[in-house]
Amino acid sequence: MDDYKFLFKVVLVGNAGVGKTCLVRRFTQGLFPPGQGATIGVDFMIKTVEIDNEKIKLQIWDTAGQERFRSITQSYYRSAHALILVYDISCQPTFDCLPDWLREIEEYASSKVLRVLVGNKIDRDDREIPTRVGEDFAQRHNMYYLETSAKESDNVEKLFNQIAAELMEQARCKELPRYDDGNLQNMNRRTTSVDVTCCGN
Amino acid sequence: MKPRERCKEKDPYEKFVEISCSSSSRWKKREKMNTVSLNFNFLNDVGRPHVLFRASNRDAGMRRFDAQKMLRSRLGSHRHFEEISSPCNVENLRNTFHMNAMAYLPFSAPALPSCFSCTCVRPRYKRLVDNIFPPNPQDGLIKSNMEKLTFYSLSSPEKLDRISEYLFQRVSRDISRKRTSYVIMAMEAMDQLLAACHAQTLNLFAESFLKMVQKLLESTEPDLQILATQSFVKFANIEEDTPSYHRRYDFFVSKFSSMCHSSHIDPTTRNMIRLAGIRGLKGVIKKTVSDDLVENIWEPVHMDKIIPSLLFNMHDSKYYSSVTKTDREDVKNNPGQMADACLKELVGRASFGNVKSVLKPVLRHLDNHDLWVPNDFAVHTFRVIMFSIQRQYSYAVVENLMYHLDENSNCSAKKRTSITHVLSKIMSFSADECIGPSVLEIINSLLGHIRISAARRQDASETTYMEALISCLGEFTAHLPDYQKVEIMVFILSKIPSENSQTDILLREMLLKSLLIVAKNYTNVSLSGTFPAPLLGPLLRLCSHPETSLLGQEVLQVLLDRHGNLLRLQEPSFETCYLVSEPVSRPDAMFLKKYEEDIYSSLLLTVTDPGHTVQGALTLYTTLALIGIMVNLHTLPTYLALLVRIQDIALNNHSLSILQKINLHSLVVILLNLIANLLTLSPLQAYARQIIEFRRSGAPYMLEDLKENYVVEEMTTETSLMLDEGKLAECLRECGLDINTLSRVLTHRHSWIDSTSGNMRGSNLDLTADLDSATSTPGYQRKYPNEELTFESMKKILTESPEVYKILEAKRQRELFDLFRNSTFEDIVNHNTVKDEDTLQCKLEEILSRTQLSKPTFENQPPIFETLFPELFSC
Ligand SMILES: Nc1nc2c(ncn2[C@@H]2O[C@H](COP(=O)(O)OP(=O)(O)OP(=O)(O)O)[C@@H](O)[C@H]2O)c(=O)[nH]1
Ligand SMILES: [Mg+2]
Repeated sequence: MDDYKFLFKVVLVGNAGVGKTCLVRRFTQGLFPPGQGATIGVDFMIKTVEIDNEKIKLQIWDTAGQERFRSITQSYYRSAHALILVYDISCQPTFDCLPDWLREIEEYASSKVLRVLVGNKIDRDDREIPTRVGEDFAQRHNMYYLETSAKESDNVEKLFNQIAAELMEQARCKELPRYDDGNLQNMNRRTTSVDVTCCGN
Repeated sequence: MKPRERCKEKDPYEKFVEISCSSSSRWKKREKMNTVSLNFNFLNDVGRPHVLFRASNRDAGMRRFDAQKMLRSRLGSHRHFEEISSPCNVENLRNTFHMNAMAYLPFSAPALPSCFSCTCVRPRYKRLVDNIFPPNPQDGLIKSNMEKLTFYSLSSPEKLDRISEYLFQRVSRDISRKRTSYVIMAMEAMDQLLAACHAQTLNLFAESFLKMVQKLLESTEPDLQILATQSFVKFANIEEDTPSYHRRYDFFVSKFSSMCHSSHIDPTTRNMIRLAGIRGLKGVIKKTVSDDLVENIWEPVHMDKIIPSLLFNMHDSKYYSSVTKTDREDVKNNPGQMADACLKELVGRASFGNVKSVLKPVLRHLDNHDLWVPNDFAVHTFRVIMFSIQRQYSYAVVENLMYHLDENSNCSAKKRTSITHVLSKIMSFSADECIGPSVLEIINSLLGHIRISAARRQDASETTYMEALISCLGEFTAHLPDYQKVEIMVFILSKIPSENSQTDILLREMLLKSLLIVAKNYTNVSLSGTFPAPLLGPLLRLCSHPETSLLGQEVLQVLLDRHGNLLRLQEPSFETCYLVSEPVSRPDAMFLKKYEEDIYSSLLLTVTDPGHTVQGALTLYTTLALIGIMVNLHTLPTYLALLVRIQDIALNNHSLSILQKINLHSLVVILLNLIANLLTLSPLQAYARQIIEFRRSGAPYMLEDLKENYVVEEMTTETSLMLDEGKLAECLRECGLDINTLSRVLTHRHSWIDSTSGNMRGSNLDLTADLDSATSTPGYQRKYPNEELTFESMKKILTESPEVYKILEAKRQRELFDLFRNSTFEDIVNHNTVKDEDTLQCKLEEILSRTQLSKPTFENQPPIFETLFPELFSC
């Protein structure tokens, strides 16, 4: 049912193979897809979550990590309310690339975008990047930090729910007076205005 | 649905109690969906006249109050009434109020006799909507009921928004319950309504329609996504009178682009989704492109999604590389071809300012996907763009690709070469649209790249790149009108460096090749049109310079040649009948008359160069033969004088090798034979034959074949084997020509050398000197301080070894520099102007006297200026 109060766009970025698609599918479909192929271009999923009895619709854009799709994926940053930057805790190069990703985000995303750093695949026992290191990096760059496992479903719900809660909080601070009228038509118009304020440009 | 069914069976009063007391959460949830307006409209159906309700419909507060009052009057005092009016919160009031209103309805039945059953109290439009759906989803929409709904929506268009809103709610519910067939039916109904409703009412309907499409697109079901796209396309095809400015399409662009990249496991489904994505994008473009206020589709945020999505499909389907183009049926099912068509449509709509927005993502895509090497796809893409872009903007494509080449100047030579190839492939499209400065801009840019490349470390791939640049330049200029080719040649000439550093030598060669490629596409109609002074001057200078002479002459030859004689003049021969010639036109003859001295003196310099090769002699032969075809009786004496001059050099210049001398002698007799035959002057022909005969017996090595290596101990210089000035003069007299001309030319001839040798030997200083004025006023000879123009000095130049001369020259130049550096400006001015005036005066007199002399030759013709400017002499 289309009775959500907020609509937020969440974009996942990060190197190829870090598990972005798995995270999204775990969250939206509750499964860990075996043999998940590399994403081509951009994938799209939708999920409505409920926080404080409010329905929040998340539009999730899962981008391809492969370099060659960079130009199209970047075009999705711009309208994002939240960006999830994923790396693989068992793969140092995916962590080393983070500064490059940040540069891209800086260039293409809105300055107000909510940025979350995610270290995925914590179920693996060949960890290369200690939690501390990831946390430090996130702190230094003013990002939220979370470690997840799409495979074991660790922190996946939490990740998206916290993002939803945070975005709702932000939206409320700015838009509160216009939210208590509950009819649907108004609601949709309001969601659009959330877009506008959150995207900035 | 359940509560309503129950209400049919049970006592109405009991039913009310039941619902209002228990109010199952599901019921509540569903009803919450309804809007205030719907609820009140519903009340309206219950009891009040339509008009009355409309009147009170001004604002929600009003309605609420109104309905409350109405309800109160209808219900009287009831134990539940307190519950209705008490809630302080508006939202609660609305929900409670609505629910109770529903529940109480049976009580009001006496007031409205037709409303006994519960279903009939639902608003009419809802009933109509509900009725179109069959109980069994397999049956499909109930046609007759659908017609009723359509008719209703047409007769009361103000209900359209509610109908569509209600349909949307049903769809949302059906999607979440995975009742796909109902979803499909609802969409179908929506489509039919869309088709039926009029343009003015479309806006009422569109919002829900698009919400529904979006809802379907959000589902993970491919079928629904495809269905939604189809509906969207139908919508996009409707021409709206007044576009709705608040409507946003970013979701659709994002989603359709994402669909274009579908990686569904099943290939057929994948294809279908991708096709749908492309169609959807096409729809968005169609809807928005005509009006930037609706949504500026040209914004990077959209273009960066649309373009890569199209290109991805164009490339992925590989159809672009298939030789045989598939038939029409296939177009519809091939994502590549579909994307192709979509790109064409988009590009075709682009205004000048938008060309860049399209091209930027194109170039980025080709970069990201490494599609430059090999470049089949890039070529294909740019072809598509050039075919569909509005003609007047095609230049912008070239320009943008050019910038891209600039940006990639640090990439591998392979990539640069590939980009350049693409550039040359599209050049032909844009050239006819180019005007004025933009042409030179493009040429300048290409020359700039040649310069950069020449400065790089040279290897095979760099050379290939340079060749690509040159052929690109050729491709571009080939499509320009001839007058622009001349401009371009002048421009290229101005860029040729005079320095002698390693890079400059290469650069010079490359620029000459560029010049040549432009010249090859030029059609010489008149000499004066082909060789304006700013072209002829620098070109002759290049011809006289040993390092550039061969290429320079090649350019000259290509420009001179009119009838494909160039090919026939590669090998020297006494056979001349195969040459094509036409009577020399008067302007051409005038041109030659005016410039012959400049041309010949430049060419003579190549002969005096002791380093000249057989190739040099061959080239000179071709050049002089081509000029010979342009010679008529008036210009013949000078031509013959030139031959004598060449022979003099061969006889007297000690710095030349014997082989060089032999070849020059051969050259002279071949050309004499050629000119005699071309002009069919029998005395001259006979004389030429005579010399040839003598040589055959006396010195067979001085005949037509020019030699690479030939061992001759001693070369005969017997006069009977050589051209004799006296004999030539006699021949001319026999042909009825004034011999004075020849002898005068022959005595005067040294001055050609003076002027040019002074110029040429002066190296860099002179090469940059302004030669234009010198060439345009041929009688005027440049002089330098301390340079004497006597026979002695000339002889010295020719006889002394070049080294000595060079040293002397260098010394003189140093002095000259010092003079200019150390003296005041006034001194220099005084020093030079006086001298110049003197010279000018002398020359003027000389020229005047000469014109007087040559007058008898033209006795039976009016003077040339009278022919050309009759209006000046008419009185
Ligand atoms: N052990 C483990 N493996 C994971 C986890 N998440 C993803 N993977 C594996 O990592 C591989 C890549 O996952 P994807 O989700 O396709 O990666 P991606 O980031 O979407 O990659 P691109 O689409 O190419 O950008 C797959 O083989 C997954 O099985 C995880 O939490 N734990
Ligand atoms: Mg992926």
